Amino acid sequence: MRFNEKEMVSLSRQPSEMAAELGMRGPKKGDVVKRRLVKLVVNFLFYFRIDEEEPIGALLLEQCRVEKEDKQTFSIAFLDEAERKYVFECDSEDQCKEWIDAIIKASYEFMRKNLIFYRTEIHRLTGKDPLEQYGISDEARFQVSNGLTLVSLPPFYTNKAI
Amino acid sequence: MYFTNMNRDEITGVVARSSFRQKMRTATFQRRWFVLKANLLFYQERPADRHLLGVIVLEGCAVRCLEAEEPFAFSLVFGPGLKTYTLSAESRQTQESWVEALMSASHCYLSLLVRDLERLYEEAKQGSRASRSSGSALSLAMNRISSGALGPPVDVSVREWRSFSASTVPQAPPSSTKVVTKKSPKVWSRRNAYVTPLNGPAPLYGEWPLVGSDAMEEFSKLHDYYGQEVGRVREEWLRGKRVEEDTSEEALIDLQ
Repeated sequence: MRFNEKEMVSLSRQPSEMAAELGMRGPKKGDVVKRRLVKLVVNFLFYFRIDEEEPIGALLLEQCRVEKEDKQTFSIAFLDEAERKYVFECDSEDQCKEWIDAIIKASYEFMRKNLIFYRTEIHRLTGKDPLEQYGISDEARFQVSNGLTLVSLPPFYTNKAI
Repeated sequence: MYFTNMNRDEITGVVARSSFRQKMRTATFQRRWFVLKANLLFYQERPADRHLLGVIVLEGCAVRCLEAEEPFAFSLVFGPGLKTYTLSAESRQTQESWVEALMSASHCYLSLLVRDLERLYEEAKQGSRASRSSGSALSLAMNRISSGALGPPVDVSVREWRSFSASTVPQAPPSSTKVVTKKSPKVWSRRNAYVTPLNGPAPLYGEWPLVGSDAMEEFSKLHDYYGQEVGRVREEWLRGKRVEEDTSEEALIDLQ
């Protein structure tokens, strides 16, 4: 599947609060832990070989489950048939918790749910729909009864190297 | 002929897609079925196809209306050195709804919007706590929302963020020029039930709509907030009961 690679690379260069060297293990049997620069930009988790400018790959952080594996390790599992699971090793428990939190909150779906919550509550408290002033009150994505189900995607880049 | 179809959780539609790489090449339009989900624009050959041809990540791009060569055309401009995608719709209405949807699709936009709403929510809560009976404090939040005193900050910052170079022509996004009168708000009362599902199972950790960073802190705030109202109602009820019968009875529910 094609994707706008150049734009993705450009996106991976955006400043990010969450960027660190972590141990990363891919989902395939026999994949070993490798040291990678992992960077969270919007709802993508880019991963680079240390000191390389272009990312090896990116994980889209939607339709996935983030779990604490043990004290300093967390995993991201994609909810598709393959149940691909990536494991990340941190340097401390705090760092591990920070990453889990950041990844969960980075998902578009998480933000959308928050938006719907605030929208509903603000309307309940004030009688006004806050999205009206933005002209997006009818946007399908921001309606209360919607569930946004995304096609679960494999990592954008070929998964040969993790 | 395909028509734009606004589904519940996605926007699908056919717009022609051009392979507009260099200025040299003549633009040829190819018919593609586009599906917008989150901040991703997927495309495939036909609506029923399972195979996706590709995806365009909608971060850092500006959405522009163009009329030049193709009618009802619009483009996704990513900036110098990066591709510009030109698409054309079949009608003005289709073009407008796609442009609107694409402009509000980015993660950044949503993030700013959520932040704005969080602020509005906090203010509305303060107002509501300060004076419940008179409701006058609520007007503060209401006035700010209606007069747009708080914004649209999202619009401005997003527009700035999207303009990459001095040569970009500032195109007023539809959301600022279109006054909302054309769209009437939907009926709300029945939707509250969807916000906090009382009867369903607890959402997975990753799905809980956290309003703040600490779930427990937020819960205790919510608990206090609703607890006040409950406490007040209970007092009134107790007062009523004492008038009827002078026997003291134990509270049915211990709220302490």
